[in-house]
Amino acid sequence: MKKLLTVCVLCLAMLTFFNGCKKEVQTEPEPQPVVEKVEEVAPQPEKPQLTEEEIFMQKTLDQINSEGHLKMIHFDFDKYFIREDMKPILQKNSEWLLNHDSVEIVVEGHCDERGTVEYNMALGEKRAESAMKYLESLGVPTERMRIISYGKNRPLVKGVDEDSHFMNRRSEFKVVKK
Amino acid sequence: MGEKMKTIRIIVILTLMTTLYLGAQQEIRIRISEGVSMIPVAMPAVAFTAQSVVKDDAVRAEIEDTLWNDLEFSRVFRMVPREHYGYIEAFDPQNIRFRDWESIQANILISCQVEMPEASRIVMAFRVYDVRNGGRFIFGRNFGGKREFARLISHRAADEMMKQFGETPLFTSKIVFVSNRDGNEEIYMMDYDGGRQRRITINTWMDVLPSWSRDHEKILFTTYRNNNPDLLMFHLYTGKTEFLSTQRANYCADWAPESNHIVYTSTKSGNAELYVRDMDTGRERRLTFNRVIDTTPNWSPSGREIAFTSARTGTPQIYIMDAEGTNVRRLTTEGNYHDSPEWSPDGTRILFVSRIESRFDIFTYHVRTNTITKLTENAGRNENPSWSPDGRHIVFTSNRSGGYQLYLMDYDGANLKRLTSTGENKMPKWQKFTHRRFDN
Repeated sequence: MKKLLTVCVLCLAMLTFFNGCKKEVQTEPEPQPVVEKVEEVAPQPEKPQLTEEEIFMQKTLDQINSEGHLKMIHFDFDKYFIREDMKPILQKNSEWLLNHDSVEIVVEGHCDERGTVEYNMALGEKRAESAMKYLESLGVPTERMRIISYGKNRPLVKGVDEDSHFMNRRSEFKVVKK
Repeated sequence: MGEKMKTIRIIVILTLMTTLYLGAQQEIRIRISEGVSMIPVAMPAVAFTAQSVVKDDAVRAEIEDTLWNDLEFSRVFRMVPREHYGYIEAFDPQNIRFRDWESIQANILISCQVEMPEASRIVMAFRVYDVRNGGRFIFGRNFGGKREFARLISHRAADEMMKQFGETPLFTSKIVFVSNRDGNEEIYMMDYDGGRQRRITINTWMDVLPSWSRDHEKILFTTYRNNNPDLLMFHLYTGKTEFLSTQRANYCADWAPESNHIVYTSTKSGNAELYVRDMDTGRERRLTFNRVIDTTPNWSPSGREIAFTSARTGTPQIYIMDAEGTNVRRLTTEGNYHDSPEWSPDGTRILFVSRIESRFDIFTYHVRTNTITKLTENAGRNENPSWSPDGRHIVFTSNRSGGYQLYLMDYDGANLKRLTSTGENKMPKWQKFTHRRFDN
């Protein structure tokens, strides 16, 4: 009986020992395959040297307009004559237009909300016309310009203070053809 | 003033009674002019007849509210308050006790019985009695239609009431206006009370300054669809469009009351001038010749004169000229900025806006007395007033609550009511020639 018990204990001890050994083997990390990084070194395409005109022609009308070559001008309350401080802006606009002689533009006329809808339609037109006539006097051919009045229907900013009104009383220049 | 009103009231009552005694077949025509009290009308609850298959209370309430609100709005009738009906016996259409209704100060009694033969159909029996003459039957009419037209049916009945009393019907008239609720400025239309608002143009460009044709089947407006403010005529029932004037800015078209002519503003000559166009032949005649802004033309109801705005003295003022462009005379003498003249349907008044300290208020000019009445005061910017077909109400734009919305008021500035709330809404024009559509 005692002998049988000894054998059992031995067996159990051995079993425990081998189990322990097995566990150790399992926890050993498997070797990861080494990935070699391969990079293709492609030859850089040579950038063509574009002329300024070619670059200009590649752009969309929206791009040209968003670049802001043609700055807007503002007007006095209820008036449509060109203010002295706006004349240099029109001078710059005319220079750009003369440098890009394929460009055609629309001259927009806008008003602030302190005029009536109906009267402002006419006033906006007068403002656009003043701006166009001034550009014409600086040598921009009339055929390249067209005017459009939005009255007070397209305000630039919302606001009831004089700064907002000033911003809204304006003439904008939009490139419609290049 | 009170004594005077009382005298006038007595005269009206006497006239009414004499007219009623003239015979049962005689049609009643009573002219209610300014300052005269309104006719007290009682309208017991609208009820379904015993035969009615369907009794939809929502329909019943819609009819009752629409009728009540129309008549209350009219300034011709005055509704006897419902609380008073509790003092007398309940209304029975088969056996009306007129003495009871007389005791609560009603002159006119409306009996409105509704029958719904099926859930989708309404038949309305509309009966009107003269309470103080032993309950003389004045008129009765039946109106029928689909369930969804419950409001329209009620408006028709209220219009019939106006006609029977010699007044211009207006409850089925429409207002055209501009709204940006769907993203950009488009043309919309609605009932006079702000009901059933719907979009007329569906596009991505800007459409502004709409007005009505004489037959109400077309609207004229300025469209930017070709990147220019062009004057367009839009046929409401066919969707057909016709460009009328496309050089430079073209706007503010007004259709003549008695002929197929429009007058409008155009800058096609290089300056804002007025033109009359014959819509049958397309022939045009220029009315103004100067270097200043002339705009916003509006025909007189007779078609013989045109009111307009001109800056010929340096600031925009209101003028009147003969329809041929001659005999120009200035109307506004005070203030330095006036615009948007619109002649009342009876020709006695001209609505206009005036700028005072960079705000706009609405005024009426009284043609006969050469006097001016201010209608709006200290409440934002008020613009583009337009008369109702009967000349008792005005629709206009105001930013008194923040953004621009449409409002109604009476000819004397009373009873302000807001009509719109979605997006910004402006430039309303009320139909003005409704009598044509209602001539039987």
